[in-house]
Amino acid sequence: MSENTNLLQVQGLSRRFGGLVAVQDVSFSVAAGEVVGLIGPNGAGKTTLFNMVAGLMPPSEGRIVFGGRDCTPLASHEMARLGVARTFQITSLFPHLNVLDNIRTGRYVRQQQGWLGAFLRRSAWRQEEAQVQAMALEILDFVGLAHRSEMLAHALPYGEQRKLEIAIALASGPHLLLLDEPAAGMNPDEGAKLVQMIQRIRERGITVLLVEHHMKVVMGVCDRVIVLDSGRKIAEGRPAEVVNNPEVIRVYLGREKVDA
Amino acid sequence: MTSQPSRNWAWGLALLGALLAPLVVGNDFILHMMTLWAIYSLLALSLNIIIGYLGELSFGHAAFFGIGAYTSALLVMNLGLPVWWGPVLAGVVAGLFGLVIGFVALRIVGPQFAILTLGFGAILQTITNYWVDVTRGPMGISQIPAFRIDSLGLDFALAQNMYFLALGFLVLGIYACRALEKSRTGRAYVAVRENPELAQSIGIDTFRTKWMAFTVATAMAGVGGSLYGHYLRVITPELMSLTYMSALVIMVIVGGKGTTLGPIVGALVYIVLLEWLRAVGSWRMVVFAALLIGCVLFLPGGLVSLWQRLLQRRGRS
Repeated sequence: MSENTNLLQVQGLSRRFGGLVAVQDVSFSVAAGEVVGLIGPNGAGKTTLFNMVAGLMPPSEGRIVFGGRDCTPLASHEMARLGVARTFQITSLFPHLNVLDNIRTGRYVRQQQGWLGAFLRRSAWRQEEAQVQAMALEILDFVGLAHRSEMLAHALPYGEQRKLEIAIALASGPHLLLLDEPAAGMNPDEGAKLVQMIQRIRERGITVLLVEHHMKVVMGVCDRVIVLDSGRKIAEGRPAEVVNNPEVIRVYLGREKVDA
Repeated sequence: MTSQPSRNWAWGLALLGALLAPLVVGNDFILHMMTLWAIYSLLALSLNIIIGYLGELSFGHAAFFGIGAYTSALLVMNLGLPVWWGPVLAGVVAGLFGLVIGFVALRIVGPQFAILTLGFGAILQTITNYWVDVTRGPMGISQIPAFRIDSLGLDFALAQNMYFLALGFLVLGIYACRALEKSRTGRAYVAVRENPELAQSIGIDTFRTKWMAFTVATAMAGVGGSLYGHYLRVITPELMSLTYMSALVIMVIVGGKGTTLGPIVGALVYIVLLEWLRAVGSWRMVVFAALLIGCVLFLPGGLVSLWQRLLQRRGRS
């Protein structure tokens, strides 16, 4: 893989919390257009790794290179500006806004016209607002929430809240989408639909990195899987290879049967 | 959802009513109350930016109101500036105080932020009270020049003139708040209130957003303070006291936080009740406290949400 097709490169990333090493010397890269899964038993450091890539937490050591640029010290709002969007393990929305306004708000970082533009009713502001509206409707349709546009986010059923989270992230116009356990709490049917949605997200030209427990989802959608255990990377490869890797079976899959 | 054109219509109609009201009223005392209502509405709108949009409770807002009133009066009187510079300079100076205090206070959130702003407000009031050389202490400043346009012979010490000036500022404030709601800036404020973690992850610099909003709100309160001072022509450190602070909080919460109409309705309710209950003296405060608690418990959207509830009920039946 040549240097410039790598959208994301993680080099020797570590994170310590006091004496605890949550992530230790992890390196991997994600090419543009790929869907990569991050798996591992509970406490393997997946979410910590995720938070570092998203800029929510500075690494103790190592570098994060995104789009050829060293982004290690950047905060999460700066990563969003560069095109990294994320969803959270526990559903995270703007609860008292309606569905459409949730998505509109997600567009913030791609808008230029602020309060003054609206105050002066500049034509640039009008155009931009019209674009935001069109974009929000398109994404609403894309995630299948068109019938819910006026509903308040907190009143949505759980499965639709998870869709809305993805919609908000998509609205920010990301190059890389980080999904933290998108299938958590979903039944197999919903999981299958999620797999389809991730595939359609990839067709939009967005690279996806996801943390996931549901093996069916991981096997269904990932080009490549990275396995973490106790903060270290222990395997990397295509899903079918990784599942048969003896090391992976020992530390992770061996404890419980693959729930696929 | 109410469509935009019909809402604009309602605002236009309300403005027409407000402009024509003095023709019907013709009573100086009521005009005076209406002028105060317009000024308080502007102040309540500014506090609403912090309480309603950002979702933080500030107990220091009256201090910025006071800073505006004092800045305007002192600069105009001591430097001999034209009185119309007052609101501008008051906004700038109150905004600068907001910039500095916000930079410190906004690092914490929730009840701690509320208490910290209460502390800053108390400090500013104490300074105003004891810095007698400049502020004349508890005596306050009197004989503040009123706004006037000599060429037209307009004296804004009179309620019949000041009402229209205050209304003009209020309309500008309302328009600014409506523009805020329709811009990415306003959406960022609300995003920070609703879910700071998610706001940050979609590219909103939450601290900077809150800081700017706080500064704008304090500058707006400063302008309100200037209008108040040049109208009543007497100001004392009382303006920065708990009485005024709680009055503003009551207007925003009883009227309906997070909406443009709410604080304006709240200011009206406050002023009407204040006069109506004058006979019962200090018991008024008990009534206001009960009203505030009642709204927090049973009507979190304030009085303006009653209207929405009514519409919903109608829609259902």
